[in-house]
Amino acid sequence: MTPASSESTIRGSRVKGLNCPGCGAALTVRGFEHTISVVCPQCLAILSAKDPDLQILQKFADNTRITLLIPLGSRGKWKGTDYEVIGFQRRTFEVDDTEYSWSEYLLFNPYKGFRYFTEYQGHWNDVHTVRALPQPVRSAVSKAQVRHNGVAYTHFSTAQARTSYVLGEFPWQVQRGESFAVRDYVAPPLILSSESNVSEITWSAGEYVDGREIWSAFKVPGTAPRPVGVFLNQPSPYAARMGSIWGLCGLFLFLAVLVAIAGFALASNKEVFSDHYRYTAGPEKEPSFVTPVFQLDGGSSNIEVYTHADLANNWAYFSYALINEETGQAYDFGRELSYYSGYDSDGSWTEGSNSDTVTLSSIPGGRYYLRVEPEVAPGLQSMGYSIRLRRDVPGFGYFAVIFVLLLIPPAFATFQRFGFEQRRWAESDYAPVKEEADDGVTDGSDD
Amino acid sequence: MRNPMYLLYGAALLAVLGWTSYNRTPLFGGSVNEVKNIPKSVRDNPGAYRSIYGGYSRYVGGK
Repeated sequence: MTPASSESTIRGSRVKGLNCPGCGAALTVRGFEHTISVVCPQCLAILSAKDPDLQILQKFADNTRITLLIPLGSRGKWKGTDYEVIGFQRRTFEVDDTEYSWSEYLLFNPYKGFRYFTEYQGHWNDVHTVRALPQPVRSAVSKAQVRHNGVAYTHFSTAQARTSYVLGEFPWQVQRGESFAVRDYVAPPLILSSESNVSEITWSAGEYVDGREIWSAFKVPGTAPRPVGVFLNQPSPYAARMGSIWGLCGLFLFLAVLVAIAGFALASNKEVFSDHYRYTAGPEKEPSFVTPVFQLDGGSSNIEVYTHADLANNWAYFSYALINEETGQAYDFGRELSYYSGYDSDGSWTEGSNSDTVTLSSIPGGRYYLRVEPEVAPGLQSMGYSIRLRRDVPGFGYFAVIFVLLLIPPAFATFQRFGFEQRRWAESDYAPVKEEADDGVTDGSDD
Repeated sequence: MRNPMYLLYGAALLAVLGWTSYNRTPLFGGSVNEVKNIPKSVRDNPGAYRSIYGGYSRYVGGK
């Protein structure tokens, strides 16, 4: 063993200074008796920390270095415990000839042991190994599930990963190129992963954390990189408010129904005038007339004017003026009725209607009469028609519109949540199969 | 409160609903032209009154 150059105590753990037998670079072992493997920071050789001579286990010609987001030796308080970053490894897997890598930062406390921060494209997880074996769950869903600590985790993906880079020290025999089958199960924001090779299987549990919390706790210089995309156990920002927004929506809809019922119950909906007339064509006949005076009770409210005419393949037009007998205030309006029917190669058809309803709003109370001026198609000699007026009529138009408007925001939020989950599962083993894009594409060659 | 904007939005809509229900305001009211100071003689001579809605050309429908 290369002689220890110094020993000191840091927060209950001793730091031992060593030198690499390969290149002579100074090594620092912080995990001390827990450390099984240590990587030379200079030549990246993997050394056996249990061997008195620091036996070289692996050497590499390629000394390409990876810049760590959290430097080794960084210390911080995490969940009430002081930890120090002592190791780093990069895991790589391949999908469709493309390599993807995530990083693992090994944290150590002499009393609490080890835990990890894993990072993939700015997404961080706080991970620790679990001793209890998760149990498979029989469920109706197509994806496999396992249960751990009362939480059901759904299978997300399985990949063959290898250790592509290591630095620092490790409580196991670390080896570059070592391959594992990694199975991930998710219950956002939690994740459960198994790593297995021919000889062992290791389970670890993690929880999604905001990188800024890590930067703050470990006083990492700069800012945490922004997360890219949706990570497999990233909590949906829409899921948390889904319950409250639909709860509010239910309350609003209930209140809207109450308001509508109250409006309907309190409306007098009173018929104030009704009569039947007959129009007869004549060269000297004045078509306009006025109705008897009728009373509109109460303050300002609406009035519904219903017109029905005995029309057959014809039209009629009514010029109305609702006139306040006392004030001389008139409300002019016109209504057209047309009704046509027939039979052709498509079968029977109809067009228009021989009745019409219109509601005038904000008509003050008082004594009124209606001036009516009917007009009919040339050639129509006679037409029966009736007019009916109702006061203070309830309407459901606004209720229907507001009902729909109340549903739009929660429906939109649900749509967003669905989109988020779609993006999450698009990266899983259960993603919809994409069709080949090269159908019908030629390379342009003549042969 | 996780949805303060929706709370305000819903409360505003309910206020509109309450107001329109109280006033019996129709969603699609008829087009009305208000005319003031109609002479009382209209009751005796309805033909003397000229409505702005009278004398329009009409659509003659049918398939």
